[in-house]
Amino acid sequence: MFQQRSGQIKTFLRQWQLQSMVIPGIIWMLIFCYIPMLWLIIGFMDYSIAKPMLESPFVGLKHFQDFVTDERFWRSIRNTLGMSSIKLLLGFPIPILFALLLNEIRSIRFKRTVQTISYLPHFIAWTIFGGIMLNWLGEGGVINQLMMALGLQEREILFNSDPKYFWWITYFSDTLKETGWSAIIYIAAIAGIDPALYEAAELDGAGRWQRMWHITIQSIRPTIAILFILAVSGILGSNFEQIFMLKNNMNMRMAESLDLYIYNMGLVSGRYSFSTAVLFARSIVALGLLFLANYMSKKLTGDSIF
Amino acid sequence: MKRNSVKSFMALILAVILVMGTAACTRSEDNGNSPNSPSGDNKPLPPSETKANPDEPAWKLDTSPVDLTWFVGANWYAHSWGETLTSKYVTEKTGVNIKLEVPSGEANEQITLMMTSGKLPDLITLGSWENAVKKLWEGDHVYALNELAEQYDPYFFKIAGDGTLKWYRQENGNTYGVPNDSYSPNLMHETGRSAANQTFLVRKDLYEEMGKPDLSTPEGFLNALQLIKDKYPQYKGQPISPFFAQGNVPYGMTEYLQNLLAVPYEKEGKVNDRMIDPDYIAWLKTFRTAYERGLINVDFLVDSDTQVEEKTNNARYFMMVREWTGMVAANPMLAAGANPDSYYIAVDGPQNSKGDKAKLFPGNMDGWMVTMISKNTKNPERAIRFLTYLASEEGQRDLFLGKEGETWEMADGKPQLKAEMIQLLESDIEKMEKEYGIMDTYWMVRNPVIINQWRPEKAPVIKQMEEFANAQADIESGIYKGLDPQGDSDVAVAWSRISQNWEEVLPELITAKDEAAFDKTFESYLARRTNYGFDKVMEYRQTELDARKARMAE
Repeated sequence: MFQQRSGQIKTFLRQWQLQSMVIPGIIWMLIFCYIPMLWLIIGFMDYSIAKPMLESPFVGLKHFQDFVTDERFWRSIRNTLGMSSIKLLLGFPIPILFALLLNEIRSIRFKRTVQTISYLPHFIAWTIFGGIMLNWLGEGGVINQLMMALGLQEREILFNSDPKYFWWITYFSDTLKETGWSAIIYIAAIAGIDPALYEAAELDGAGRWQRMWHITIQSIRPTIAILFILAVSGILGSNFEQIFMLKNNMNMRMAESLDLYIYNMGLVSGRYSFSTAVLFARSIVALGLLFLANYMSKKLTGDSIF
Repeated sequence: MKRNSVKSFMALILAVILVMGTAACTRSEDNGNSPNSPSGDNKPLPPSETKANPDEPAWKLDTSPVDLTWFVGANWYAHSWGETLTSKYVTEKTGVNIKLEVPSGEANEQITLMMTSGKLPDLITLGSWENAVKKLWEGDHVYALNELAEQYDPYFFKIAGDGTLKWYRQENGNTYGVPNDSYSPNLMHETGRSAANQTFLVRKDLYEEMGKPDLSTPEGFLNALQLIKDKYPQYKGQPISPFFAQGNVPYGMTEYLQNLLAVPYEKEGKVNDRMIDPDYIAWLKTFRTAYERGLINVDFLVDSDTQVEEKTNNARYFMMVREWTGMVAANPMLAAGANPDSYYIAVDGPQNSKGDKAKLFPGNMDGWMVTMISKNTKNPERAIRFLTYLASEEGQRDLFLGKEGETWEMADGKPQLKAEMIQLLESDIEKMEKEYGIMDTYWMVRNPVIINQWRPEKAPVIKQMEEFANAQADIESGIYKGLDPQGDSDVAVAWSRISQNWEEVLPELITAKDEAAFDKTFESYLARRTNYGFDKVMEYRQTELDARKARMAE
């Protein structure tokens, strides 16, 4: 044990040039992720932007009490959980399936082409992609025309004006945009599988499905577990840009996620202390979820982050 | 096997880094405001070298080159300084070179961030309604203009006019900003120009073909919509959108519609609650009926700006609750298009049951935006002198008309734009603004009293709307504009919760399945409103109105 650890340190020292490349990243993270956490303290103050922070009075948990009694807060929790659950249950497996299918393609050129095309939408900003979606979903849009041509609906529906469609719109548009990109991680993991395993399995008479199940999926299981843990801890988060683009007064009832609520309270209404309190509470719950998912994963699959 | 585990470990690390990276990014956004006190907080005024003469503009004392940064709080503002003829001329004349900055997103947010980081630009122009304006003043981030002027350029008092200075004077006796487009009631009475821009527009050809239907009563309104649905469902192969309201719920369907209905702001000295006005409710019910009968769609509540622009430019709306100033580009274009009668004209829109004419907002003393000098500037004396110059008749003329002999000349003792400039104004505004930079290119301290005398006659398709609005303007009502509490006080929070809730309730009212459902939703809105603290808001409005009246009477 000791032998192994000192060996690791030696290796680390020998690679110091390479290892030091991570320093800018660490500094970036300190400045943008850790130092700002100090200002979470304004969640306990009546902070006014016109005065120095320390002159603001401490008010204890006042803002926390305020938000738990706000029905709009609970509505935003419901919406966030709703949208995240759909994304987690129906959205999480899709990139895995996609990567598996892509892996079975024989022609390298075709595979590369499909892969490239599928992840291109990721590079379109939501501000633009959202605008495209609004046009597709609006009157005279592709979706209405398609549905009417197929005889699935009789007249045009303004999908974006009916709250009941909103969660599904976020789910489908997100899947459309991000599947290819999310699959990259799995594709990379699949690429790391030793081909000898497949050859051996083939010799032993394993068919395609069996190889996929027993070799590919088993090999990328740790990756799946990690991403699942992170996805669960992010269940209180939502894709802010996406919702911001697609929301409007008509669907706000189902669209206002926790992030949007924080934004509306903080930057729109100028209640900085209040929104910091909500954010703080959210982060604590997210941290708890992370530990929970990690623990579950360790128990169930033996793979975990820490 | 060894190689394999290393690889999968690497893939795992890669996955963690990728995901952590994105997660960390989103999280840091919200805590971005670090409230450092600005560095230039208590900087004493530098001593002035030469004593300035109150009858003589002081910019002439020093025309050495100096750079000033100028933040213009409008993210759509696309002009620059230094390329246009006007800006070159002004820089050459005064020595002041301007670096224009515009916000990449919301002006209010950006200036708040600059404020907390103590890096404010030299000059700041910001919408007078933005709550950052109040923060700049209260947090002592900008100079009191009267103090600066006393020290460096007393000529300022001569041109700033007592009225504007007084209107923006704070309790401590200081004035921090100069407004543009500010109108005093006296001025409006004198000139007949009210700067009212709220109009009710219809598409001319359809309206006339339909026999100029009456749109001022609920019955007439619904009949006209029915006629549209039966006879003109499509235009150029696309469905007609019968109705549009600018600014969505909080503006077009609320304050604006209430103005059309002449809902009073005040009853016997008491601020009136306009939301429960019976005429207003009756009209909301009319919209509900129209929706139920399939005569209007809810596109006007959900369309994005681009979708609205597209429909406007293709004349796909039949009627619009829309400011005529927003049609200045589209109307001439439609009139010059294949169907020259498909432009929009102002007519009488929804009216109250007594048939009163609309009471539209005129321009007001607040004006549009205010310009301030930040305490971070290294050249306060040059800044105030430049601001004084721009606000003076000479500066107004230089910015609006450009350089004498090149863009304008004297005719009958009056400055007159050259014919080629007027031509450009009609054919290619963009080129006029990019190359010459005259007229409304640099509007930051535009004073309508001075420049309107030089404005060329407007095109008839625009003039009709403007005159219609002028005739319906309620000149005394400028005082009621923006009575609502702003900022982060308790009453402001109450108001913001109420108004944000209304934005969701109104669509529900219009799409309510029957009148009973409408009443129920409206009742619950009223209850919620009380719950959020509407009484305090009404009190605030009353105090604010009384204070304004006192200031006007001074």
